[in-house]
Amino acid sequence: MSQSIKLEVVTPERPVFSAEVSEVQFPTAARGYYGILPGHTPLMTEVGDGLLYYVQDGQKHWLTVFGGFAEVGPDRVTILARESETVDMIDLERVEADRQRALKLLKEAHTEHDLASAQAALDASLIRLQAAGHPAGHGF
Amino acid sequence: MAGLQDIRRRIRSVKNTQQVTKAMKMISAVKLRKSQERLVALRPYAGKMMEVVRRVVSRIKGDSEIQPGPAAQAFLSPREEKRIRVVLVASDKGLCGGFNANVLKAANAFAAETTAEIVHLDVVGKRAAEWARKRNLTAAGEYLGIPLTGFQRVVTEISEGAAAQYHAGEIDALYVIYNYFNSPMSQTPTVFRVFPMELDRRTEGREAVEVSHLLEPDPNAVLETLLPRFVETELLRNLLESSASEHGARMAAMDKASNNAGEMIAKLTLTMNKIRQAGITNQIIEIVSGANA
Repeated sequence: MSQSIKLEVVTPERPVFSAEVSEVQFPTAARGYYGILPGHTPLMTEVGDGLLYYVQDGQKHWLTVFGGFAEVGPDRVTILARESETVDMIDLERVEADRQRALKLLKEAHTEHDLASAQAALDASLIRLQAAGHPAGHGF
Repeated sequence: MAGLQDIRRRIRSVKNTQQVTKAMKMISAVKLRKSQERLVALRPYAGKMMEVVRRVVSRIKGDSEIQPGPAAQAFLSPREEKRIRVVLVASDKGLCGGFNANVLKAANAFAAETTAEIVHLDVVGKRAAEWARKRNLTAAGEYLGIPLTGFQRVVTEISEGAAAQYHAGEIDALYVIYNYFNSPMSQTPTVFRVFPMELDRRTEGREAVEVSHLLEPDPNAVLETLLPRFVETELLRNLLESSASEHGARMAAMDKASNNAGEMIAKLTLTMNKIRQAGITNQIIEIVSGANA
């Protein structure tokens, strides 16, 4: 059996990541985190918002993923994400600004809808901060 | 000389036209690059999406225990096509060679050929809207002057509408007629059926070997969310293909126009010089013969 998984992460905007890795963990929409090792049963599920990690040469690396679908085979994991980025793509200053704005909107929100969208924006910025290893992200 | 003045004026006018066509070519090149970048970025995603959907669909088809929900039906068991929805994608502006003519010709052929009734027509681009008006078809959805950034909204609107119509039994299929982008120099007018999905024999044979997937949390939940995304992705790809094709076609047309203008200027300049030379020769002859006398 193959000892590695081909991890591919693509979004409508760009292919984000493609390489052989030895382990993957990603968030699902319905059932928490799925950890995938080589030889996993074929599986198809909806991806949630959060952090994906993969292990390459014994090193853990992080990616953000926001929604989409994952298809798992014995030797591959394909993530069709709505949005995704590697740590390098994250612009800390912008994310921090997003977080402050989301916090402000959260305080001012009156309707259910405003509240939900502000919360979603806050969550997204926290996920990005966490991926980048920023202290503010650890409260998430 | 009477002709000289006229020719000079004509050269000036052709030069002005050439300047315009050159500028348009340049603008199209920039726009082409933008559309093409987005298209090239989307193609791997769309390709993977298609692959995944094919696998899941052929998996579900092969399993009699799974009862597909309403959205899944659209992809699994095509009904007889009696009423269809058609999206016609052309451009807002002209001056792009055969771009609009070709896609509208394809639309004509499709309309003549199909046995189904087109119950819902969406037109993207002014040229498509004009075509519909000329043929006395009412376009239920008109999308005019949509910028590249507005595509997502159009796509969501059409795909959600079409899915709802399918569920309600108002339509049996969704078609898109657009220009496929081969390269900046070449486009192919294409009629594409978005759903029900065509699973050709080749892929079905190959996929049958695949191990069956677990679909979590349950097959229907996955399909119900996956299929609308698939339709959206395909529509978005078609719009981008058309947009890239349009700019490619315009660039090619304007390049040709600039070249033709250049040729014309060269010809006119030659004629002008000949006439001028003839005039000078005439005058010399007159002077010489005058001196001799």
